This record gives sequence, C-alpha cells and structure tokens, in this order.
Amino acid sequence: MRPATSGAVATAAAAAAALPGGSSLPGHRRLARLANGLTVCVLQNHQAPVVTTALCYRAGTRDDPPGHGGTAHFLEHMMFKGSRRFGPGEIDRRTQALGGANNAFTSHDATTYYFSFAADRWTEALAIEADRMAELTLDRRQVASERQVIREEIAMYESEPWDALEVAVQARLFRGHPYGRPVLGTRGELRATGRDELATFQHRLYRPDNAVLVVAGEVDEETALADVERFLGALPAGAERGDGATPPAAWPEGMARLRRHKGEVPRLLLALPAPPGDHPDHAVMRLLVALLGSGRGSRIYRTLVDEGQLCSWIHTDLTESVDAGHLAIAAEVVPGVAPARVERELLALLAELVRTPPAAEEVERARQVALADWVLHHERVEQQALSLAVALALFDAEHLDRQLRRLLDAGPASLRAAADRYLRPEAGSVLGWSLPRS
Amino acid sequence: MHDPPTETAPAAPAREPAAGLAEAAGADLAPGRPGLAARVRRVEGAPVVAVRLWLDAGTRVETYPGQGLLTGRMLEEGTWRRDWRRIAADAEGRGMDLSSFGAFEGHGVNVDALAPDWELAVEWAAELLREPSFPEERCAWLARQAAAELEGMADQPDIKAAWGFLEHLYTPHPRCRPVHGNAASLSRITAADCADLHGRALAGGVIAAVAGMIDEEAVGRCLERLFSDLPPRRRPFPPPAAPEGLPSRRHQVAVESADQAHLYIGHLTVRRRHPDYTALELLAVILGSGAGLTGRIPERIREREGLAYTAYAQTLAGAGEDPGRLVAYVATSPDTAAQAERGVAEEIARLVEHGITDEELEETRSYLLGREPFRRETARQWADLLIEAEQYGLPLDDPFRRTADLRALDRRTCEAVARHHLRPEDLRVTIGLPG
Repeated sequence: MRPATSGAVATAAAAAAALPGGSSLPGHRRLARLANGLTVCVLQNHQAPVVTTALCYRAGTRDDPPGHGGTAHFLEHMMFKGSRRFGPGEIDRRTQALGGANNAFTSHDATTYYFSFAADRWTEALAIEADRMAELTLDRRQVASERQVIREEIAMYESEPWDALEVAVQARLFRGHPYGRPVLGTRGELRATGRDELATFQHRLYRPDNAVLVVAGEVDEETALADVERFLGALPAGAERGDGATPPAAWPEGMARLRRHKGEVPRLLLALPAPPGDHPDHAVMRLLVALLGSGRGSRIYRTLVDEGQLCSWIHTDLTESVDAGHLAIAAEVVPGVAPARVERELLALLAELVRTPPAAEEVERARQVALADWVLHHERVEQQALSLAVALALFDAEHLDRQLRRLLDAGPASLRAAADRYLRPEAGSVLGWSLPRS
Repeated sequence: MHDPPTETAPAAPAREPAAGLAEAAGADLAPGRPGLAARVRRVEGAPVVAVRLWLDAGTRVETYPGQGLLTGRMLEEGTWRRDWRRIAADAEGRGMDLSSFGAFEGHGVNVDALAPDWELAVEWAAELLREPSFPEERCAWLARQAAAELEGMADQPDIKAAWGFLEHLYTPHPRCRPVHGNAASLSRITAADCADLHGRALAGGVIAAVAGMIDEEAVGRCLERLFSDLPPRRRPFPPPAAPEGLPSRRHQVAVESADQAHLYIGHLTVRRRHPDYTALELLAVILGSGAGLTGRIPERIREREGLAYTAYAQTLAGAGEDPGRLVAYVATSPDTAAQAERGVAEEIARLVEHGITDEELEETRSYLLGREPFRRETARQWADLLIEAEQYGLPLDDPFRRTADLRALDRRTCEAVARHHLRPEDLRVTIGLPG
C-alpha cells in the first residue's frame, strides 16, 4: 500500500483536477438577457446526451401576502394544473411521453421549475414554461382539489418528527422575519387562499424580468439562445418589484429553548444565525460546517458518534439565502443516553472551536471533504442547472465561482474569526428538543 | 416507434426456472469460474472515479437478524494495517467518500474519489474487503448504533407501515424484517459472527466495478494484482425460506401519526431475472411510477380525487434473487383511507380486465427509452449498473439490448403479463393507523 501524500499537496492536485480552469461547473457558460428582462444562461457541456432547463422565479414564501401564507407553494402546485395549451395533468403526461422528468420546489426566496429531457427534444420545456407563465388557468375546481392535496402534505410533515421539529425551530429563530414562516402555510391560511390570491401573486411576480432560465447540457449555445428567444422572447415584462425592506429577524436573546414530545427517540436541533449567501463569511462557514460535521473525522461526528457513542448520527447544514440564514446541527440520540449530556458535549465542542483555532491539517481535511462534496454533488447536468439557476436568481453570475474560490482560500485564521462571530449559541440561537412521550 | 398489431396469439408469460441442485450450499457455481468478476468502464464527464466491491451475502443469508448489516459496516472499522480512525483520516484527507455497507442481498465497499486517486481508491477498497480485523469493541458499538437507528426509523409512520407490509407479504423469508434486524438480535451479534459471514461470502467470489475518468487497462491490471489469488467461486449459503406471508388479507400497524393513514396494497411478483421483468416495468409506469404525477393510481388518487400528496405504484419493488412486489402506497386521512383503498384496487383490476391502450403503451415505452441516458450519466451510476449486471448475469449495461427489449413489447404481450402477474383477487392491504 502506498501512503497518502500530505494535505497541502493533495489539495492543490485535487483542486486542479476537479475544477479545470477554476470554474465551479464543467462546460462553457454564456449569459444573455432578453428584451423583456429574462436572464438566460446556457451551460454547454457534452458529458451526456441530456439537457435540463431550470426556470427560477424570485418569488418565494417571503413574498406570501399577509394572511395567505403558503401562496408561493400553492401556486407551484397549480403551475402543473392547467394552462391554455396544457390542461390539468398534461404537463406530466407530455413529459412522460418524451421520456423526461420534471419537478419544482419552493423556498423562502424563490421557486424553481425544472425539466430534464434527452438532448433532441428539450425545447418542449420552453413551450410549457412560456404557456404557463403567460396563460395559467387556475380553475376553481382544480384549486379546491389541490388545496386538499396540500393539507395532506402538511399532515405528512407534521407526522415526520424531524420535519416537525425543524419547522418549530425555524419559526422561533426567525421570529418577525419571513424565513420563520412555514413554506406550506398553515391550514387556516390555506383555507383563506383561493384563485384570486393565486392569480394576483402570479401576475405580480411570474414575469420574465423576475426570472432566470438556465439551459444546461448537450446544446449548442447559439441555437439554444435562439430557441429561448422564440418561445419566451415575446412574453411581456412587468414584474412588480418588492420594496426590498424585509424586517430583520429578532434573534433570540441568549439560547432560546424549545421542547416537543414525539416518538421514542430524543432528537436535538440547534440553529444559529449565519451570514447571507453572498457574504464573504458564507464560504468560510461552509468550511466550518465540514470541519464540524462532514465525515468521520469531523469534530461533532467523532465526539458524539464514533467515540462518545452518544448519538446514532449527526448532521450539519448551512442555508444559502438572500438575508441572514442559519447553521443547523441535528443529532439523533441513542436511547438510554441522557439528552442533557449530548447537549453539554455539543456546546463544549462549539466553545472549544471558538477558543482554539483549528490546526492546518484539520482545515485541509475539511477543505478536501467540502471540495469532493462539491464535485460529486454537481456530477449530473440536472444538479448543475439547478445550482446555477438559484445562484443567478438570488445572487449573481460569479456567485458559484466566487464561493468555491473562497472555500479554497480560507485558512485557520479566517475560520477562527468566523467561529468567533457565528458559533456562539449564548449570543442568540434556538435549541430544540423532540423528546420521547414516555 | 409504433409496433404494428400482431394477429398471433399473445405470448404466454414466461415461467421462472425452478431452483435446481446448483442452489445447494457448497456447489460449484461454474467449474473453474474465477473468484473475481470485474467490470471496468471509462466514463467521460466529471473527473471522478467510483469503485464498488460486492459480495453476495447480506440479510438474505444471515443467520441472525442484523448480521448482514453489521458485517458490511464492520469492514471500515479496521484492517490488519489500519484502525478506523486512520482509515477515515486517510480517505477524508484525499476527499474520498469511503464507506462499507450491509444490504439485503450483499455487503461490500464503495469508494467515490477524484479521478487522479483511482489507484488508491481501488487499493483501499481491496484492503477493507480482504483484510478486515473485525475489532470486537467496534462491533458492540455498531450494534447499539443500528438498534438506535431502528428505533428512530420506527418513529416515522410511513417506514413503520412499510415494515408491516413486508412482514405481511414475505414471512418467513428474511425480506419480512428490516435489514437492521431487531434490537435483541443485534445485541447478541459478535465480531466473530461478522467475520464468519464475511469469510463465507468471500468464498462465493468478489464482484468489482470501477467507472470514471480512468485508463481501463491500468485499472484492470490493478484489480488483477489485488485479487488474482482468490480461489474459484463456490456457493457458500443455502437459499432462504420461501416467502409465504401472513394468513390474513388485512394487516394493521399502529403508527405515530397525527392524522394520516399509510396504506400499502399489493402482492409478490417476480425475480429480477424473470423474462417478464421488462413488461412489468412498463406496467409499473402505467400504474404510477412514471414522470411527475402520471400513472393511473396517482392521477385518480391525487389529481382527480385530491386524497393524498403521496401516491405511487410499483410492480417490481425489491425484485432480486427473490420475488419483488406489486405495491401501491397512499398516505391519506384516516377518513378517506377506505376510498383510497377502493380506488387503488379498482385501478389494478381495471388494468388486468381491460388492458392498456396503444397510446399508453407508446407513451410508456417512449418514457422508458427516454430515461436511459439519465441512468448512465455519472461514474457512480455506471459502477452501480455494472455491479447489478454482473450480479444477475444480465446485460443491463448494454443500452442497445435494453432498447431492443423495450421495442419488442407489444400491447397483447403486456396485457398477458398483467393478467398473469397482477392479481386483484390476491391483493393484501397493510394499513398504518394512528394508535
């Protein structure tokens, strides 16, 4: 067996191999803007004979009208329920007949729709997107039926112990800010939201000048841009811009505690405020997250799982949002272990990282893990398209490359500074427990 | 392409070959068949490599519930050269995702790495597979960890109801229980038990797959160097008990769910190698495993009747060395569970009695053909596909063969397969209800 080379050498080699030309995504990118304001990006690569289109509207839960929480998500469902050319269910049937796949997701900041097709038939996605952007039907019977479907979706989330805990913790952390609202809304808000509210929301925000379209995969740039122009170029602009004044979250003073009872296993979720996605500290926080919780060598995994044997698993995550986001640390506790002990150990780990800067070798491990995670996560064209669309809609064209560069450049000193700023639960955080009923 | 209608009688659905003497433990799989079966493929795209080493021994042949899972997981807990800390540090220092696993049909090692590290990835995977030290203290912890995971999963109502459905259909076959086994059994499994299962599995031979931005010949030479001393493959395990199922048609499971019922409806179907597999895949799409919310069951349950957020159907769930299953799943309010159950049963019966339309056949065929490039997009997908192809002795990695199989299906054949393999009168219903 040959020994592993040193961390620094490995990093340089890996970065060069993984990021040819310093680009965060494989292939050549071309950015354009149609006369109606639609931002278009073509990512041309030939790794597989497939194409994904991702259309991202800057319209999410944060834009839900007062009293009508869940409108953005409700509208996402209705976008599949009929437009002038594509009746209810027709989009899925057409997608299937062409051997494609489609889906959509709503976040607090945006709503994204995507199609993946073989490279010889992808323009059907443009026909569908143009039709439902301009002429969505919003039939009242379909609205009523879909409302019932979303009620079942809410019930599903409420039944799942982690989902239920996450919604409660996020509501407490982001009190006063739209990020604290549940994406699905509440049952009461759902009842109060009908065709009129959905139509107003769509008319206001589903316009070309409030959207980004990415076409990724085996396409010719010129042809793809011409196709986009042909299908979407004639749609009228006119999106209503928000005033941009979102109230800041009223972070908890100190560590707010929240306790629920569900299931037979103790579950811990600690949420800490984190910088917005375009803040220079965001990439450094990504590295901190890897250092804390990615892989068996990470501090939390090693201490709480592999060596401490207190938790069956842990997970760390960092949201990437327009306003301040959050760092979440989740742990599922081994039955029989005192929850207080897990909490104590976790808080001690964070305090230690604030007190003592990590060694260079530890930082390199985290960087390698984060880098490989980036490359493997973006192996498929669909993943490339989605990352690019969201980055363009919420930030700018350089966002992904800039994030990756910062990730590669961050050293122990900047990590320590970020830890000092953000890893202090006592300065404002939410610690949620889901405890066994017994 | 539209297949012309045929006047000949629909083909009779094929029968599976009966288990023969060759299934007996210890019999030669094939005289002189080498201990390593390797598949290597260069995949253009991201600069990564995926390494998979697979042994045909998992839950299916374990002696104690949970033994297959623990045996697989123990491989990364230490070798005669390195302990678990060193293994993790070396791999993560290179950005490798190195993990060992125990699954229903097998256990083994997976490594995903950046392409320049391909040789280290193959060597380290081989080290874990061939030189595990099975440290006792790690086995005790992994058993506790698995028991905790089991308890955590039981808190999720859909998973708990799904376990009830497996028990309903497969008892006493090992598929009737979770791969994790149960807490009592896990607590008694020792490192020696894991070493024993692994040792016997090695005698059955190793399947290796390496895919990515690699030099195929160089990888082939590396595998030859690492595995050439393996003895010829033998069949080290007897087949498991045949699935019989619980005697009752209905089975109720108490789940922790505020106001949702979790319905699983279906019955056993066929094994992975069955000649009707492709036709059943196509029927699954027609029932409810295609794009978005298409398929007769989701269209009726979700789109027309608004009963559920999640509704889908499969015809071959879990098909492998043992029979898979027809399964329709719906999560709905307890008040509408009866309506949903009736809807699913009626759609399955309608498919069997009235068949499919030419339009459905063509759309579904087009869908399955169109999905092909997406199954071969990444090195990881290729590596998994190569393992499956070798495991079942099927040309799954050959896109032309797959296309030909799909194009050969006509409506009458599909309808005959539906009548033979989908049995509305045999449907079993497992319902998870708040309790």
